Amino acid sequence: MEKILSKDRLREWVDALDDCEVLAPAFADSVWNYARVEAETVIDLSHTNTINPPKQFAFPQREVFFRFERADGVPRLTPTLPDPRPTVVIGVRPCDGRGMPRNDTVFSKEFKDPYYWARRERLVLVGLACNQPHSPNCVCQSVGGAPHAEEGLDVLMTDLGDRFHVKGITAKGGELIARGGDAFASLQAGDPAEVARVHAAASSHPQRPVAELGTVAEAIRARFDSPLWEEMARHCIGCGICTYLCPTCHCFDINDEVTNPNHGTGERVRTWDNCQFPDFTMHTSGHNPRGDLGSRLRQRVAHKFLYFVENHGTQQCTGCGRCISECPVGIDIVAVVDRVSRA
Amino acid sequence: MVNVDALRGYAADLLEKGQVRAVIGYRRGTAGVLAQPCTIDEAGEAETLVWDPTCLNNLARYLVEDRQQQAAAQTRNKTPDGRPVAIVAKGCDSRAVAVLLQENYLKREDVVIIGVSCEGSGVIDPRKLAARPEGRWASRVDFAGADAFKVTVGGDETLIPARDLLADRCLECRAAAPALNDVLFGEVVTERGLDEPFRAVKAAQGATEDARWATWEHHFDRCLRCFACRAVCPMCYCPECVVDSTTFVNTPGTTAEEKATRIRWCERSASVSESALYHLTRAIHLAGRCIDCGECERVCPVNIPLRLLNTKLEMEAFEQFQYEAGRDFGQASLLSSFRDEDPNSFIR
Repeated sequence: MEKILSKDRLREWVDALDDCEVLAPAFADSVWNYARVEAETVIDLSHTNTINPPKQFAFPQREVFFRFERADGVPRLTPTLPDPRPTVVIGVRPCDGRGMPRNDTVFSKEFKDPYYWARRERLVLVGLACNQPHSPNCVCQSVGGAPHAEEGLDVLMTDLGDRFHVKGITAKGGELIARGGDAFASLQAGDPAEVARVHAAASSHPQRPVAELGTVAEAIRARFDSPLWEEMARHCIGCGICTYLCPTCHCFDINDEVTNPNHGTGERVRTWDNCQFPDFTMHTSGHNPRGDLGSRLRQRVAHKFLYFVENHGTQQCTGCGRCISECPVGIDIVAVVDRVSRA
Repeated sequence: MVNVDALRGYAADLLEKGQVRAVIGYRRGTAGVLAQPCTIDEAGEAETLVWDPTCLNNLARYLVEDRQQQAAAQTRNKTPDGRPVAIVAKGCDSRAVAVLLQENYLKREDVVIIGVSCEGSGVIDPRKLAARPEGRWASRVDFAGADAFKVTVGGDETLIPARDLLADRCLECRAAAPALNDVLFGEVVTERGLDEPFRAVKAAQGATEDARWATWEHHFDRCLRCFACRAVCPMCYCPECVVDSTTFVNTPGTTAEEKATRIRWCERSASVSESALYHLTRAIHLAGRCIDCGECERVCPVNIPLRLLNTKLEMEAFEQFQYEAGRDFGQASLLSSFRDEDPNSFIR
């Protein structure tokens, strides 16, 4: 399904989705991030990319698994499976769209994670193609994506100046467009060519190459014990920015948060975890197989370009560039992969 | 002007003569416009050192890292190389070194401070640069006197008023040249005429208590607890952070009992209550120690105005006790000293 949506009628479409939670990028606190669209919100889709990727809408930073308490000496558990309203996220960039099916794989391949899927099945991603790269660190094309890639999105919108070209990609996306009714118009004769022209122009911007993409996995395997990792991580401060902001990092920790120890009351919660933190692979014995910054950098890069390829047949990095742009000390995954490949 | 070639020559000379183990400085990054930290072990590498307004990092943080590695080597019964380490230090960075010396974390003879003047200006805020048209695509930023930066985008050079790009911390800076140094490149500049010290925190505390709490609740709700603010801070050198359970040390000798009964003051959940506890505890632990390098605020991916918490405490220290962290490494520390003329007579 392909339609045209005049920019001044976007709000009309959003208003038709009144049973949904609708989120769109908003510039607040000097940073783009997703925010709930309220009645008075003016939706601004001129965003670069949001600081947080949309993974949080299926995999929130904190998920309660169940509540526990002790009643008359008997432990009692109360399930807390999420039951969210349908959630529509507007303005998802194609790199982040490509991240979602990778997360879906992780949360379904061996075990279908009920908490993830309770949210994911009600999530609709409305993408917005990039007409130009947002930063020198955008490398979507170098990792097999494109500024107008459809993978993982339910709808892809393309900015044509005063209007959007809107394409339904999944059945869910088609239904969402149908709900907009009269807000949408049919394509005119010149529109398909105009969309193709905009996509081609966007793709023509040069991006930093990710060296010898086909052989990166092999290179990382061959240099697993190389001193390069330690050297490249020498100034890493071990914070969690690179992985928390990553559209495909999905590691988590599970803890019991006790609110009242006398009554055995509390919650079992899943929170994001992070391979850059010192306790990430800490064994109960005190041994830590990823005990230094070099092996932690290797863990992150190898997960993106080696382990994920081995386990799921595709790279995990979708080229959004956040880990590069936001690293406090300039660690650059493109340069890291390049150096390992050339070593 | 800082003569970068002279700085490189000085660093190379230190390494050539074997007077230092390494030089911690800045080099060009591989992505974007910012310089990045580097550690030079060989004289030949000194030519990669740079100094420009994109040298944002407070490198004193790497002195802490180095000290921890030296200590780890000692516990493995290896004799560490006892020679000092040299560090390229801006005004704020040198104040951080002074606090580390004052707290006996380092010895004066263990560090060679290669001071660099901020040329009467300071470093840039990359977000201010990125907010300008084409700013994201800048390939270089250079000092152009005290009042402007020269920004290169493609082949074009543009002069941008310093005020428009300067990091907020630099606007309020009281000493844009390192007072503590073994050698100084560039001029000592004392007259700055930018913002008055503590301007931002004075403005922020004008709001009502309810409004201030609402603001901080909003910020703590946005916090991802990536711990970058703590990880980048040269004063946060505790091997175990009381409000970060991921740092709790676990050794073969740690018993199951110890692991089970260890108190988690702060849960991993990134909720308002836990994040408030994390940030406020960290701020209190920095009282009288924060030298306002502003690194915590710079690295925050969601732009929480963390400097306000720290500068509020430093303003109290300054106004109540005329105390400035990092002014002099010989001074008694704020929290461990008492003078008869101190206010709050009820203490006596």
